[in-house]
Formats: sequence, structure tokens, C-alpha cells
Amino acid sequence: MPTKVTIAQHILAANEASAQELRQELGARGLATINVMSAPGAGKTTLLEQTIRRLHGQLAIAVIEGDIETSNDAERIEAAGAQTVQINTRGACHLEAHMIRSALEQLDVGQADLLVIENIGNLVCPATWDLGEDLRVVVVSTSEGDDKPAKYPQMFATAQVMIVNKLDLLPYVDYDLAKVKREALAINPQLHIFEVSCRTGAGLDTWCAWLCAFAHSALQERTR
Amino acid sequence: MHELAIAQSIVEVVTTRARECQATHVKLVRLQIGEASGIMTDSLAFSFEMLTSLDPLLDGTQLLIESIPHVARCGACAQEFAIVNLVPLCPICQQWSGDVISGTELQIQEMEIETALSVMEE
Repeated sequence: MPTKVTIAQHILAANEASAQELRQELGARGLATINVMSAPGAGKTTLLEQTIRRLHGQLAIAVIEGDIETSNDAERIEAAGAQTVQINTRGACHLEAHMIRSALEQLDVGQADLLVIENIGNLVCPATWDLGEDLRVVVVSTSEGDDKPAKYPQMFATAQVMIVNKLDLLPYVDYDLAKVKREALAINPQLHIFEVSCRTGAGLDTWCAWLCAFAHSALQERTR
Repeated sequence: MHELAIAQSIVEVVTTRARECQATHVKLVRLQIGEASGIMTDSLAFSFEMLTSLDPLLDGTQLLIESIPHVARCGACAQEFAIVNLVPLCPICQQWSGDVISGTELQIQEMEIETALSVMEE
């Protein structure tokens, strides 16, 4: 007769444990960490470029750039003035905590206040993996359908911030911004929402001021 | 396509526990997967079979997946309702609900193993 063995364990327990250790390590190094996620093309990299430029002198930012292939995005981020490490997942659709830990070894984070992890462009898989971050940010844009929160609820349920990008395109697209906000808040009433255009700069000062305040309060929380 | 990574995690957990229990073979693994966990169970079963075929300890292990329905509770009428197409809209009040009760599980429940002892008994 086979023997029954109870396991009763989350399938991703190893990642959860690794993420928890990473969270402590990042805290010990004095780094607030955010995980930025979106569908491909919503504007994560452009948002980061703009954020890094605007916060120059106020917040030192280091970036871990996740992409399936190429180092195009890392080159853009470096040019914007942040220290960057590229992770190429060679086909994998999300980042995992152990990848962040090895990328961190290549970063000189001594001077940095904020670590930004740009996840793989995908609204499904990254929602499942904890990367040891303090804040999860989901970016949507007006050139996508206005049903993203309804279609990918897990992503919006686990994020604390939603940024709606490409506001400048609103007159040209059938995007119901009120509906997106209503549905996202129905899934997650605590969600902070920012409306921006990385092209015109609209809304970016508000977002950057909020992020700066968040990073400083996250750091104070840890040194307490 | 993250089912391969999920299958890999299952194999790691099961292998570790099976070695601790001095198993000679794992007969069966039972999972609970929520409807809204973003996992395609066919794809998970395929990945699991591929990975387990590489290790005699697990080769031929049966994978039983219990699918857990995606259910929410309405904030207005307090009624529990099945979430259709991931949209948590109460069919009675037409209100959205963020109070999801089940459907996001990713759990390894148990396994059945053979040990040198259990084979001797037969």
C-alpha cells in the first residue's frame, strides 16, 4: 500500500522564502524597492527614463531591467542616468526572486536609495511571483483596451499603484478612463491611481513626488 | 507559459519531501489550483509529465488537480457568487466585489509514496 504524505504547501513556497530573504537584505542595504509591471508597450521603460531624469539629485535610482531578449531597455535606462543590470530570461515570461538576488550582486547599490525592477511585459505571470519588493506598480495605457483590470484582475488585486500612461492619446482612442479606474478600484479599493503622459510630461511631477515620499518613508520604516 | 516554472517548483517540493520520507517512488501528487490562478492545467500536466520522466523517483507519477472555483462575496447583499470570466460582478446587485473567497490557490495538498517497507509488505 502506498503511504499518504500531507504536504499542504504553497507551490511557490521556495520563491516566497527567497523573496522574504531578499526583502530583508534590501532593507539592510537601505534600498526601497518597486516592481513595475505592464503589458508589452504600455510604456514602462519610458516612464522609468522620465522618472529617473526628474528625480535626479533627489533620489538615487538603480534599475534591474527584465526582458526576454536584448539589452535595448538597459541602454536607455543607463542613458537616463541610472545604474542598470539587464536580466534576459531567454523565453521565461516573468522574473523570480532568485534572479533578482543574482542581479543584485552585479549592482553597486551603495549610493542608491531606490531599486526599480522592470518586470517582463506581461499582465499574467509576474502577478504570481513575489520579488521582495515594497511596492507593486502596474502600468496601463490608453492605446490598450479599457478592460485590462477586468481581464487581469490578479495583477490589479496585488498592485498598490496603477499608472495610466499615454493620456495625450485620449482624444484619438475609444478609451473609457472612468471605467478603467472604476473597475480597478472595484478589484482593489486601496489602489493609488496616477494619470500621466510620458510624451507631454503631464502628471509626472505628481507621480515623482509621490514616489520620492514613498521611498523615503519606506527607508525610515526600516531604520526605525 | 509559466506552467513549466510552476511544474518545476512542484517537482522540487515533492522530490525533497519524498527523499525525507525515504520514498522509492512517488505514485501520486494532489494539487489544488484556483480557477483564477492563471494556470492552464493541461499545460501544467504536460510540463509535469515531461519533468518527472527525467527522474526514476517520479517517473509515471499521477498528477491529480482539483480545480477550485473562483468565488466572491458581494459587499452589498453579502451573497456568495461564482465569478464568471474573472469579472467579480454580483449577479443580483450588479456591484463589483473585491472580496474574493477562493479561486487563487496554488497548493500542493499531499502525495502518495512507496517506500522499501511498503513494497515489502505487499
